[in-house]
Order: sequence, then C-alpha cells, then structure tokens
Amino acid sequence: MAHPLSDLRRGSTPAWLGLAARLIVGGVMIAAGLIKLPDPAASIESVRAFELVPASLVEPIGHLLPPLEVVVGLALVLGLMTRGAAVISAVLLVAFIIAIASAWARGLEIDCGCFGDGGANPDAASQYPWEIARDVGLLALSVFLARLRSSRLALDSLLFRPPVVPEPTPALDDLNEGSLP
Amino acid sequence: MSNKPGTPKGAAKVRAKEQRAAELRAEAERRRRAENLKRGAIVGGLLLLVVVAAIFISTRSGEDLVASDVGSSDYGLIVGEAGAPREVVIYEDFLCPICGVLEEGAGEGLAAAAAAGTVVVDYRPIAILNRFGPYSADSVNAFLVVQQEAGDEVAKEFHDLLFADQPAEEGPFPDTDWLVEKAVEAGADEAAVRPGIEDGSRMDDVEAATQEAEDAGVQGTPTVVLDGVAFRDGKSWEEIADNLVEEVS
Repeated sequence: MAHPLSDLRRGSTPAWLGLAARLIVGGVMIAAGLIKLPDPAASIESVRAFELVPASLVEPIGHLLPPLEVVVGLALVLGLMTRGAAVISAVLLVAFIIAIASAWARGLEIDCGCFGDGGANPDAASQYPWEIARDVGLLALSVFLARLRSSRLALDSLLFRPPVVPEPTPALDDLNEGSLP
Repeated sequence: MSNKPGTPKGAAKVRAKEQRAAELRAEAERRRRAENLKRGAIVGGLLLLVVVAAIFISTRSGEDLVASDVGSSDYGLIVGEAGAPREVVIYEDFLCPICGVLEEGAGEGLAAAAAAGTVVVDYRPIAILNRFGPYSADSVNAFLVVQQEAGDEVAKEFHDLLFADQPAEEGPFPDTDWLVEKAVEAGADEAAVRPGIEDGSRMDDVEAATQEAEDAGVQGTPTVVLDGVAFRDGKSWEEIADNLVEEVS
C-alpha cells in the first residue's frame, strides 16, 4: 500500500543508487558552474543568446546560474539538504530543457553555454538532441533523489535525527500472539 | 469472585501506561521535528547566503568597466565629429560572431547618426579570440596597418568589409592574402599595406590595444559603452543594436 520509495531504508539498494545519482548530478552541476563562475560576462551572453528572457532579467540570471549550480552541486555531492537541492536541480533542468528545445524549434544556432562558451555555433542543430537527452537523464536522477528519503554517505544523516521507529506496543504484541496459532 | 485474573483494574493500569508512553513518543517526535526544522533552516540559510554572496561578487566584477572616453585610446577609429551629444565606444573582435550581429544591426545606423552629428563613435578592435587561431590578431593588425597607410575612412570601410564577410569562429580562416584583398577593396594601396599585413608590423600594438581594453575592464566582445556606461539593453544582440541606434539617433 505504501509507495515503493516511501519505505526505503538506508543500506538498501536504492540508498546506494541515491549516492550514485547524487555524485552524477552534483558532479555535472559543479563542473558546469565552476567553468562559468570566473566569467560572468560570458554567462550573461549565453543566457542572452537564447533570446528567451526579457532584457532586464538577462543579467540577473547570468549572474545567478553559475553560483547556484556550484552550491546545488556541492549540496548533492555532500548529501546536504539533498531533497531540497534535488528539487532545485530538477527545476533548473526543466528550464534548461525548455530553453534548448525552444532554441532548436526557433532554428537558433547557438551553443547552450551549459559549460561556458555560449553564443553562435554552426553545429548547434546536431548537438541539441544530445544536450536535451543529457538534461532529461539528469532530470530523471534529480526527481529520483527528490523522492528518496535518504542515501548512503550523506551529511544529512549526521545533521538530521531520523524518526524514532515506533516500538510495537505490548497490546499489539498480545494481539499478535493471540492471533498466532 | 473479586480476584479473577486480569482484572479491569490491571488492564486500566496497562492502558494508562501505554497512553503515557505514546504521549512521550509523540512529544519526542514533535521535538525531533522541530529540531530538524531548525537545523534545516540554518543550513539552508547558510547555503542561500553563499549563493547571494557569490552573486554579489559576480555583479561587482561587472561594474569595473572604466569609463571609456571617445578618443582616449591610441588604437581607436573615430567616426563622427568630436563634441557630438552622444559618445559611443565599441570594443570588438573581428572574429566574434556577436560583434558581427552588432555590426549588421547597428553599423549603418551608427554611421548615419555620426554623419548627422548626433553621435561620435570610437571603434576599438581588439584580439581576444586567439584560442581559435591567428585570424583574431591578424585582422586587427591589418586594420591598424590600413588605418596607418590609408587613413580613417578606408579603415572604416575595411572594418565594415571584414564584418560583412566574417569567417566562422571555429574557422576555416582566410589568410593574409584575403586581408590584403579586402584592404584594396576598401580603397587602400596594395603596395602600401601588403608588407605590414603579411609581416604583422603592428602586432605589438594589437597586444597593447587588447591589454588596454582588459585594463579598462572589458570582459568580452562586443562591449558597447554609451556615454561612459556599458550598454546592454536588449534581450538579444539584434535588439541591443536596434536600441543603440535608436538611442543615439
């Protein structure tokens, strides 16, 4: 009756998969953010190249994305506020997928700027499907992490106290014993 | 009669005990949740603070653009009359695709506005895309040679021709012969410009011009400075180009 993911225990297979998903999504986020972090101007131009957001929001978004990616990536790798970080990561990836798909649909030939180096790119059309596939994969892992209670080697397990497993009450025990043959 | 096993009195005692235990557990659970919420809020707040601090540093670094006055560089090309009401400085790399977009959108409009006397434009070609090959520096060198040998008007024409026929950022790149052809097409004398274009006679100045732009806080091309302030108003560079022309016309 319970959701298959709702009663996961640490040490079970999904908890190890959770660690793997954290390292993959977090690692990609950190790499993408760190490359863009030293060059805010390039990050702004990557955002502008999509011609999607109003002029007044181009620069704020360009400044926001690199540090946000690094912090969300670090949180995922360390397993700190994992579910919250996974939700933000999922929201970002949905936005990236929409942006790339829309650029593709409008016939723009731009580098997605995902890992720096935005702007024009004559080969863009052949790369859009791979970029979208990559982001869909990362989105799936992020959604999985957002639904997972806990994973292995996460700082969350030090930070947060786990729920006390309710001990079976004597009355229930009696009942159970009574029902046993 | 009165001493049956499992009297109601004993059962009540057990029930009271259970109830007490349940209350204690519920209380512990409440406390645990409150404590976790507090810790989550603190850690979440700290992470948020890191992001905000990084954005602050990031935006501050973008403000370091030193006010660039028209005519303040030895390596610029000035179009229009000094003292025009609006001043525009444009840092650009002949290889940068967005610079091509800016030129396509604003080149003619700026020239018309400069001719009408409403703006004076200082074009400052620099070479920052050297990682793609020699074209970035070769083209600026050729520009400086043409300007030196044939004057500002021919250099402006050469500049326009280079952007009109811009190679892709990743190549293939035209050679110096092509640059000489364009210079001649712009109106330069081949014998005067060929040696300088082929030998890179102004390469030191290319480096100096690029360094000067970097010192002024230019972080990429194109950088448009309108009356001393970076101008980036638009959701695309086509729109920025249109807005710029509208602003100065």
